[in-house]
Formats: sequence, structure tokens, C-alpha cells
Amino acid sequence: MIARTRYFVIASLLVLTVGVGTGLVAYYVGFPLAATNQAGPEELQYVPRNATILAYANVQDVMVSQLRQRLRQAIPQRGNGQQELQDATGIDIEHDIDRVVAFAAAESDGPPVSGMVLARGRFDAVKIEALMREHGAHVEEYKGRRLIVADVPVGPAPAVPERASLSLTFLEPGLVALGGTPIMRRAVDLKDAGGENVTSNDELMNLVRSLSGDTAWAVGRLDALRSQAQLPAGLSSQLPPINWFSVSGHINGGIQGLLRAETRDDESATNLREVVRGFMALAKMQSSSRPQLQALVQSLELGGAGKTVSLSFMVPAEVFDLVSGAGALK
Amino acid sequence: MMPSPRVRPALLASAVRIFDLSLGHMLWSRRSVFLGILVGGPVVLAAAIRLVVLLTPAGMPQINGATMGGSALFGMVIWLLYIRFIVPVLGVFYGTALIADEVEDKTITYLFTRPIPRGAVLLGKYLAYVACTVLLVLPSVVLVYFLIVPLGGTSFASSIGASFPLVAADLGMLAIGLAAYGALFALVGARFKRPLVGGLVFAFGWEPTVLLFPGYLKRLTIAYYLQALVPHGMPQDSALNVVMEIFREVPSLPISLVSLAFLVGVALWLAMRAVEGREYVLEQ
Repeated sequence: MIARTRYFVIASLLVLTVGVGTGLVAYYVGFPLAATNQAGPEELQYVPRNATILAYANVQDVMVSQLRQRLRQAIPQRGNGQQELQDATGIDIEHDIDRVVAFAAAESDGPPVSGMVLARGRFDAVKIEALMREHGAHVEEYKGRRLIVADVPVGPAPAVPERASLSLTFLEPGLVALGGTPIMRRAVDLKDAGGENVTSNDELMNLVRSLSGDTAWAVGRLDALRSQAQLPAGLSSQLPPINWFSVSGHINGGIQGLLRAETRDDESATNLREVVRGFMALAKMQSSSRPQLQALVQSLELGGAGKTVSLSFMVPAEVFDLVSGAGALK
Repeated sequence: MMPSPRVRPALLASAVRIFDLSLGHMLWSRRSVFLGILVGGPVVLAAAIRLVVLLTPAGMPQINGATMGGSALFGMVIWLLYIRFIVPVLGVFYGTALIADEVEDKTITYLFTRPIPRGAVLLGKYLAYVACTVLLVLPSVVLVYFLIVPLGGTSFASSIGASFPLVAADLGMLAIGLAAYGALFALVGARFKRPLVGGLVFAFGWEPTVLLFPGYLKRLTIAYYLQALVPHGMPQDSALNVVMEIFREVPSLPISLVSLAFLVGVALWLAMRAVEGREYVLEQ
């Protein structure tokens, strides 16, 4: 082998080795380290370890996104609900709420699953409490915190609707929590007594870490939800055997998202991929006459390996133009 | 005193000698310019995209208004440039030329008069082709990976780390693809007089056409088995690709690997037999 051939082989192998080595380091060390630095929002300390669904949204990022601006221009009138909320509580969603964390967890007492929403931002505590009391709520003290408790009707409205106890409290300055009263007490206990919160749930936190850079995300344990939902046996057996799922999105000009599911075994993942591939092909055929939807359908990318199935997508702003156009016609 | 009989070197040892000789020839031939352009093109393209995105953060490529992520863009480059174009083209041009070039240059006589098995000439040249193309294509893929994948907002470490299993699978798949196409076209080059035309028709006529239709014919292509090893979703950039995706059958990974290994083995064996048995007449 002549010298220049030898140099070429060495240079080529060097590029290959450095590249693959860097990738390996990023995979085994860099990736977890990068993720550990942003292991979810700090509100997770109020979320119990057995949370079955956990969701997060950076409200400020959504509000200042190009997509939001575009939707506002397309639909200039302000939503009544948003205005009513501001009148009643003084909370301006656009400016006062920075981020929201929501979760659902199984309860040992009370309803099988109850949920809570934690919103970080700037709130007028006195105004909110006064308003809730006007509507029949009362104040309870729990470990030094004021829980504003209201009984609200739940479920379908029969003659005498069932009522559930809903609480609102300020867990910290600038952090308001809204949810079922039992789970609210549990959240307070978690923070004060230093119990096991969701950050000690490695399985769930691994998913959360992988989603931390996105504007909004949700992760959930589908098998737990399925068992808690008490579905008929026939229906339950027809559902794909998915253990975990996650959905995340980065919102700016459009929505760039990723759906991910972790199945019971490799075979289930292969089957699920085949089913999704079939639906994608069908969607592609159906969308041929609608250019706006074509962009969405063409952005679908199926991936994943082993037990993981992933589907990435990009919802372009044009799709929302369709929605806003339909809304304007109404 | 009787002279000691000369021992004919073994096939593998002879092939290694030919490999050593051919690798340099292959790398520094006129064809290398073509090879350089072919594997340098995606790197230049990736660098240009990177530059555009650095200068204008909203400059990520779009398909019908949908902005692509770095990982999706990398998958598209792998599909459209490497799998559909570079790998078959390299296989056709280099595979068919392994013996044909020696015949054309009238240097095959020098190789065949050496005390080595004729099959070793083809085997050594084939190994040199695999080494040459793998050493050029894989670093090119690695460079494209580092240029493109971190684009799209996520941090360098997380995007590189998250997509590393994909690129590792890509590297393996491309090496297997180069070996498979090279072996098939080495056989074509050893058996036929005008192998290039037939090779091009197979790679860019037969394979894409057959993959469009349902049925068993697609099993007579390399692309059918190779596509099963691709970790990225097939891009839907044209109506043809949509049709291809609808009728796409994906064989399992073990079937693909075994089929491609069988193809390489059989094609090489037949090519070596063809070289052993064929009488090459040099045009004066």
C-alpha cells in the first residue's frame, strides 16, 4: 500500500471513529447529562410518585408563538371564557401564567383517579379567594395553608348530581394549585414531609427528560389508566398493549410534534407500526385533494425500534388557517 | 537434484495481495473524481443547509410549508441521496468495472499470468471496492449527520445522542448495501461484455419499477431487502413514493440480512467461477 493510500485510510477511519465515538458518548453520557440538567419543571415536587398522567405546557411560549399571533389575526375577537376568567379572578392567561403542570394519580381514598393543575405565574390571591367564597366556597386550614374548598357537580346531570370537593390553594407565592381536595392535601404533605414524588419514578422521569425542551408535552401510563377505567373485557383486549405513551410538541410557526408509545414487547410494537403505517398510507390517499392537509400528512414519519413506536409530525400554520376559516364561516 | 515444486498460494492470501494492489489503484484513478463528487455532494449540501439555518434561523427546509426537523432531514438525505442514488451508482460503476477495466486497459493478462487463482483476482478487487467505497461513504454520512441532525432547535448533545442509534443502523445498512450491489454488479461485469448499461437498467429501471407494484417480483431486487434495514421513514416527496409506500412490504430484519448475505456469497462465487472459466480476448 503506497503512502498516500495509507494516509487516506487513516484519515477516513479517523473521521469515522471520531464521529461514531462522539455519537456513542452523546448517547451514553451526553444525552442523559443534557437531559438531567432540565429534568422537568420544579412543580414536579408536588406530583405523587404514582402519577399515571403528567402534562406540561409553557404558556408563555405558546402565547408569543407565531402560530398564536396568526390565529389571533385570523380570529380577532377574544374568547369569552378567557375574558370571564380575567373578570372573575384577575388572571390574564396571556400575561399572568408562565407555565402549567397537570397530572392525574390514583387515590387510596375517594375517586379512583383524581387530578390537579399547577399554574406558575402572577396571581391576585385575595381576589381569587373572594370570588370563590362568593360562589359558596369555604376556607379550610391544612398544615398552615389556606385551602379554598368548593363542592362542584360532576358527571352527567341527573336530578341530584354527584358532587366532588374541589380545592384551590397557593402552594407557594406565584404557584396556584387546583384539584380534588384529597390530592391537594397529598400534594401539601409531599412538599412538607418530603415524601416520594414523581422525580423518584425513574421510568416516568426518563420519558420526561427526553421531552424537556418542548413547549408542551404529556406522558402517561396507559396500562394503569386502562385498569382504572374499568373497561369491558372485550374492549380492553382489543386495545394495543401499550405500556407508556408520550406526546410532545414544539410550537412556533406550526406545531412540530412527536407521539411515542412503548409496547409490552417487540412483536406488539411491530404490529402497532404496521397498523400506523396503514393509516398513514390511507391518510396520504385521502389528503391528495387538500394541499393544506397534504403538508401535515407528508410530514408524518414513523420510527422507533424494539418496543418503541414513534410518529413525528408537523402541523403547518396552513392547517390552522383551515380551522380558523371554518370558524369564521360559522 | 529435483527442483522443489512451486506451491500455488491460497485463494485468500492471493486475494489479499490483489486487494492491496487494487485499493490504491481504485482510490487514485480517474473514477475517484466522480466518487469524490458523489460522496462530497451531500456533505456540501448539508454544510449549505447548516449555513443557511445559522444565518436565518427560520431557514430550515420545508415541504409544502412544513418545517422539517434535523433528524427528519437527515433521514431524507439518507433515503434520497444515499440509498436511492449513491449506493446503487457506486455498485454499478465500480462493480461492473472490477474486471472490465482490466480488460479495457489490456492489463488483465498481467494478473492472470501470476501464479494465483483467477478467482482471487476478482475477490481481491471486490474487497478493495468494498473498502474504498465504505471508507468514503461512511465518513461522508457521519459528516452529514453532525451537520444536519442538531438543526431544529434541540441541543447538540441531546439531538446527537438521541439519534445515534439511527445513524449507527444507517452506517451498517449502507455498508451492507455497498457490499450487495458491488457483488451483484461484479457478477454482471464478469459475465457480460457491456455490463454498465445492464447495471444501470437494473439499478434505476428494474428496481424502482418493481417496487411500485404489489407481488413477488420485488423480491428480485436488492432494494427490497435493503429498505428493511433503513431506520428512517420513507420520505413522501412525490406521488411515486406515496405509491411505493402503499405497496411497501417490509421483510423482517433476519430475512433481509440472510438474503443479502446469501446474495453476496452466491454472486461472488458465480463471478469467481465466471472469471476462472472465461477466455478474455483483448481487442488489438
